[in-house]
Amino acid sequence: MSAAGSDQKGASVKRPSTPLIQVFEPHKAQTPPLIPYIKEFWERRAFALELARFADKAEYLESKLGKAWLVLNPLFLSLVYFLLVTVLRGGANKNTGLSTLAHILIGIFMFYFAQNIISDGAQSITAGGRLILNQAFPRALLPFSSSVRAFGQFWPTIPTYFAVVLIGKAFYPKTVIPLADWNYLWAPLIIAALAITAFGLSLIFAVMNVYFRDTSKLLTYTTRIWLYGSPVLWKPEMLHGWHRLFLYINPLGPTLAATYHVWIDGVRPSNAEFIGMGVWVLMAMAIGTYFFTSRERDFAVRI
Amino acid sequence: MTIGKDVIRLGNSTPSTTLLQAKGYNGNISIPDDLAIRIEDLSITYKINVDTKKTLKNAVMRASKGEKVRMRTVEAVKKVSLDIPHGSVVGIVGANGAGKSTLMRSIAGIMPPTTGRIIVNGKISTLLALGVGFNPALSGRDNIILGGLAAGLSRDEIESKTDEIAAFADLPDGFIDMPVRTYSSGMYGRVAFAVSVSMTPDILLLDEALSAGDAAFKEKSFLRMRELVEEARTIVIVSHALATISDLCDTAIWMHKGKLLAHGEPGAIVEEYLKFLDVGTLPSNLEDM
Repeated sequence: MSAAGSDQKGASVKRPSTPLIQVFEPHKAQTPPLIPYIKEFWERRAFALELARFADKAEYLESKLGKAWLVLNPLFLSLVYFLLVTVLRGGANKNTGLSTLAHILIGIFMFYFAQNIISDGAQSITAGGRLILNQAFPRALLPFSSSVRAFGQFWPTIPTYFAVVLIGKAFYPKTVIPLADWNYLWAPLIIAALAITAFGLSLIFAVMNVYFRDTSKLLTYTTRIWLYGSPVLWKPEMLHGWHRLFLYINPLGPTLAATYHVWIDGVRPSNAEFIGMGVWVLMAMAIGTYFFTSRERDFAVRI
Repeated sequence: MTIGKDVIRLGNSTPSTTLLQAKGYNGNISIPDDLAIRIEDLSITYKINVDTKKTLKNAVMRASKGEKVRMRTVEAVKKVSLDIPHGSVVGIVGANGAGKSTLMRSIAGIMPPTTGRIIVNGKISTLLALGVGFNPALSGRDNIILGGLAAGLSRDEIESKTDEIAAFADLPDGFIDMPVRTYSSGMYGRVAFAVSVSMTPDILLLDEALSAGDAAFKEKSFLRMRELVEEARTIVIVSHALATISDLCDTAIWMHKGKLLAHGEPGAIVEEYLKFLDVGTLPSNLEDM
């Protein structure tokens, strides 16, 4: 057997050129040390990005048209909801019909983006069982990869929205919907807030799905009810007095209300909406990260 | 063969006095620079839910009846202490449930210790299962990239090795760009094995991975393992193929029900282990372990 520096076979012992020392110890308070965790998460981000890209490639490898359904599905759903809403209101108004359609359209696109992050993220750990059992990496990379994939599916809906509004405006030129407005500069912030909140929630549901395998099924129904409770099919201004509280206890409420104000009203989101978005981003990330990292150790034995 | 409960240093090398420093949770930790792996008093315990259907519906039903969740505590590894110097080729033998795979996963950082500590000096590559991260709908080339990224390589690193990996896997012409679902199981195993051994880790952890492919590829895999051994990298192998342990390893350990039962020259360990498998009871000198 080897003496330090050389082995019995005569070859010189290969030691790391620069010492790379890793220490594995019991997790304090059940959570791994956060700073090294975030550092490793950042170093391995290419894996999550490629995993998202390859998952998309695998799904639509033999059906280029299949990818179009990612836009067509929420588009048709928006049209169905538009018909339902206008029927319930007793018919469409020439001046407000297009803005109602535009509101439902951007609302559905945004809500679907959040829903995809949450539902795909919820299944990411159970679906990535072999990776969990055989490779060491921050497990949060798997729900993050689902979020990246959801973004890839979301962004084509933005030009679709503008195309629908442009065509609509050709028929109803008097409808006031902003197409080029400075307030659109708030849109990336709102989309980022929605994505981060949804990612934080996906961390919670991903853990729940490890313990209770029907969580993802339950999410299908929950998100449908969540959609009806969000300002997608109705305007945020329809809530008055203490009812406005419903807007803020909904994690996606302030973001979707801000979406309405920027995209349909062409105004800056209210301060309350900014605060609501900020609070939900912080709460979803703090609770999601703690819950996820404190249970990460269990994944390898419960998958 | 040596039996002992204290820290075991594998091999005959003289311990180095040069210490490398690292940060642990409770301050600085040091490890002699000749060690690749130091395992200190490692125990791994976990609880598993014994209910067959782990659903929210069942949990609510159980709670409404006032029933508790039935959990079982598994002590997979019990107080193992071990020093593995750089350049060692260590074989681990033991029956099913001995804790071999859990020990490997903890060295790889997949399962954190319940108590104790593992210090690893070097880049680790694992081959604990074949085709980890592979997607059957994607081509061999895409899967090589995905497998390499999953193993911790950068995209540039793995792309520069793709052709070399494809050549090692002996794929028929054009198959590298075909979906992996069209591969035979042997071809699939060969690509997966080729991805893992194409890396140049300081420490390679192998769990029953030498069984990929046909007899010719097994021979090729074995030769590649020999190359890695000749390069004097640290390798830890778990295998039920005892001939592999005897041929490749310079030290072996025997694990039984989570405990490190014995360590020493592979031939002697394998012999003792085979006797145990024949008789079904531990040798009298090991019964109190």
